[in-house]
Amino acid sequence: MERLVSSLAEILEIDVTELNSQSVLEAYNWDSLAMVSTIAMFDELFDKSINLESLRACKTVGDLEALASA
Amino acid sequence: MQLPVRIVGIKSYLPERILDNEELSLTTAGWDAAKIFEKTGIASRRIAAPDQTSLDMGTLAAMRWFETEEIRPDEVDFLIFCTQSPDYLLPTSACLMHQRLGLSKRAGAYDFNLGCSGYVYGLAQASALIVAGMARNVLLVTADTYSKMINPLDRSVRTLFGDAATATLLRADDTGESQIGSFAFGTDGEGGRDLIVPAGGFRKPRNSTTGIGHVDEFGNARSEDDLYMNGGAVLSFTLREVPILLDRIRALSGFALEDFDYFVLHQANKFMLDTLVRKLGLPKAKVPYKFESFGNTVSSSIPLALSELVREASLRRGSQLALLGFGVGLSWAGAVVKW
Repeated sequence: MERLVSSLAEILEIDVTELNSQSVLEAYNWDSLAMVSTIAMFDELFDKSINLESLRACKTVGDLEALASA
Repeated sequence: MQLPVRIVGIKSYLPERILDNEELSLTTAGWDAAKIFEKTGIASRRIAAPDQTSLDMGTLAAMRWFETEEIRPDEVDFLIFCTQSPDYLLPTSACLMHQRLGLSKRAGAYDFNLGCSGYVYGLAQASALIVAGMARNVLLVTADTYSKMINPLDRSVRTLFGDAATATLLRADDTGESQIGSFAFGTDGEGGRDLIVPAGGFRKPRNSTTGIGHVDEFGNARSEDDLYMNGGAVLSFTLREVPILLDRIRALSGFALEDFDYFVLHQANKFMLDTLVRKLGLPKAKVPYKFESFGNTVSSSIPLALSELVREASLRRGSQLALLGFGVGLSWAGAVVKW
């Protein structure tokens, strides 16, 4: 999950130390491009195909982590 | 199967007006010019003039063939025009282009409606006509003006697409030095909704309400008369289908990855190509990125990339290419080309 958080920090253009499982995505630049980038990241890191709807349901970094390990 | 057909060459036309990232950033809240370039790899796009259509641009690209010694108008047996922005519902744009180009009355001409996969489908149709003995010289023209279907306040697509036209001349060639073949195709109409202009056809004619813009959750404005792209769905489809497509044309041709000199993918944008290149495990040096100065030009993107390689003298006769087109439909196609 460390890789998820570091990749996500890159996508959101923030320092990795700013993020933890409780971080609320909306507080950052969580726009359409960030979501598309996250879909690509899930494919690369976890060989997982996720859709926009399941991403929209994620409110925190922890939600994303749960999606990755689901 | 490799067919005895040669791509004689590719001519192109780009409209004059340049839309750069500085100008775009005035209407893309939160995205400055540097960010647009970093994410898309696109510095500028060409935009068709208000009174300039795909038919006009395609004609100009095709005309360039008749400035060469390669072919005269009366030697063209077939004109195939790939466009999603015809001049009229009818007549067929290719028939009007046929007249403007002064082709023979014995030549066939028709349009087909595909986007980013269209060039590979056009190569298949042209090759089939030639191999079947129904034509010797085929002109395959691609042109689109997506800019006219894009809401100026929709940064999700306005940053990506540019207008362009190309004209590829294909000819029977039994020397074995150049060949086209090992085609593979694919279609998924369920994804039709993910890249669509909802209004303007017969299912939903334009009316006083279809043109009213709405702002979506990401701050992009568009109406039903405008182009909509679900970027996430299109990315997922591409990551799912393009690896299978490359495997299929590799199996059909009997080639290993190392046998290809170039993998010419639909020139969507930097983010898409970077992601695909990593997923496919391709050497970056063999994957041309040719969109910085014209953006995603839909069915013209692969032929424009090829003509850039020719201009740089990177392509030589006999170079082995994998062409991979994918996009609106959803539709995809791959081909192996011995240049």
